[in-house]
Amino acid sequence: MSTYVLMKILESAPGKYDTGIRIITLGKLDKAYDRLAGYISSGDHVLDIGCGTGALTLRAARKGARVTGIDINPEMLDTARKRLSEAGLQDRVELREMGIAELGGEPSESYDVVMSGLCFSELTPDEVRFGLHEIHRILKPGGRLLLADEIVSRSPWKRILNGIARFFLSTITILMTQTTTRAVKDLPEKVREAGFHIKDMRTGRMDNFLELAAVKPAREDES
Amino acid sequence: MNALSYAFFNAVETGLRGFPIPCRTGLVSIGSPDRDAPVFLTCNYHLTVLRVKKALQGMNCYLLVANSKGYNVWCGAAGGHFSTHSVVSALTTSGIQDRVDHRRVVLPQLAATGVEGREIDRRTGWTALWGPVYAKDIPPYTANAFSKTREMRKVRFPLGQRLEMAVMWAFPFSLIASLLTFFLWPDFLLPVNLLLWGVPLLTFLSFPLYSRGLNPQAKRMERFSAYTVIFDFSKIPLILWAVFLVGLVTFGLVANHATWEFMLRWGFASLLVILIISIDLMGSTPLYKSGLHEDRMLKVQLDVGKCKGAGFCEQVCPRDCYEVDRQRHTARIPRADLCVQCGACIVQCPFDALQFVSPGGEILTPETIRKYKLNMIGKRLVRV
Repeated sequence: MSTYVLMKILESAPGKYDTGIRIITLGKLDKAYDRLAGYISSGDHVLDIGCGTGALTLRAARKGARVTGIDINPEMLDTARKRLSEAGLQDRVELREMGIAELGGEPSESYDVVMSGLCFSELTPDEVRFGLHEIHRILKPGGRLLLADEIVSRSPWKRILNGIARFFLSTITILMTQTTTRAVKDLPEKVREAGFHIKDMRTGRMDNFLELAAVKPAREDES
Repeated sequence: MNALSYAFFNAVETGLRGFPIPCRTGLVSIGSPDRDAPVFLTCNYHLTVLRVKKALQGMNCYLLVANSKGYNVWCGAAGGHFSTHSVVSALTTSGIQDRVDHRRVVLPQLAATGVEGREIDRRTGWTALWGPVYAKDIPPYTANAFSKTREMRKVRFPLGQRLEMAVMWAFPFSLIASLLTFFLWPDFLLPVNLLLWGVPLLTFLSFPLYSRGLNPQAKRMERFSAYTVIFDFSKIPLILWAVFLVGLVTFGLVANHATWEFMLRWGFASLLVILIISIDLMGSTPLYKSGLHEDRMLKVQLDVGKCKGAGFCEQVCPRDCYEVDRQRHTARIPRADLCVQCGACIVQCPFDALQFVSPGGEILTPETIRKYKLNMIGKRLVRV
């Protein structure tokens, strides 16, 4: 789904972000998020990294989880706050303006679930490495990592096709918002390197979108 | 980086100056830095990183390339792409903490409009120093115990930069026009390109001739007419157009080619080009505030009661508007007419003594500017 590049246009208008993204992704993102939310149970302590307007945060809160949402964009957080109070879920959620680089302040083994939708594609390679390491630290043993993001395909010819589609969409996006996103390379490998066991993984037909559920092994599993 | 590839990237990326070009983020060692080596930080706009690396040649230091989404420092900071979070992230995730014993990072002064020095200290324990505007001043600034001269704080618009701005306008338009004319009217390929390069070059290279006559305040404060909205520099573009027309007629006479059709066609075409580049002529210079958003013609207001003369405003102002009285512990804005409304002074003031006031009396508090930056990119889209 190369159309994710277009989300940058919507990001500049947080009020219209959710409707817009539903249209450009043909509802696929909603389904992906719903599936990921299936891994969350009532009472879980959940961290949503790059929560944006709160698409994943809302789903987790509806499931009865206690959620902390972080994002570096204060305008998106404002929209998320509004949506949460409209849904009457504000008491279960804490939103903070901070980036993945600031997870150092979170206590070790304090979360049941860490999730992130369309955020890793905005990070630098250093941030991805640092972030996965920190996520592993703050998750309880047996805790889950849930990711949904744009990735670089492994098949060379799909990479070329995706590249062409992205080129046009990126041009439009850059002209309108002067910024764009970058698909992540080798995300499953990086997740494994950080010490996670991948439980479930799903990529689209064009191999450019990844849904991933991974687990931090309980202590006895570790060598 | 050899001289040839340096020249190549400078040429290509000057043509594409209007677009963000990202490069690799992370830590770069320059020379052989030790544990006391200074740490400089910049954005990840490719051309900037190339130039900063060149300026740092011969020093032993670290360069941190922070994520600004491929934007240059000033535009990135004002547009929210190069923010406190970018800097915090670079300091935390790059591994620099393990390489040096000190906790001092030198930031480019122009980042002060979007990066909060105090917030970096609070979140990471690193002290942010506001370095010079231009990378070439980094070695003397470092040699001078990290202290800036007045000249190092000011933005300038010298010949090289004016040339860059002209190329920035000319290159993309001439590329599109060349493609169109090549297939539709091949005869016009050369004249159209002459026009698209000639007019911007004329406008920007002759800038010092008319810049003294420009008074952006006059435009800012008067009532707006359709005339001033279109022509950023009031009559200047029309005068430049007249100069161009004289050239055109001279050429026509010399080449014995002065038919009415010729004059009308190129006269009209050049007017169009003048109009396009006049839309934001002020915004193309570092010396004036963009004239595109007249509703945002803001003035900085100083609350003398809150000011304690800390002097951050003086350190970050790229137009040297401030004077700080160290004896009386208070600041003044004697050169307020030079202000480009970057907001850096407001963002950095530790006592919230500064704020923006709009022509309609609306107040933009420091809190608002720190939170939303001057990023009106999104707001513009929604409003239009």
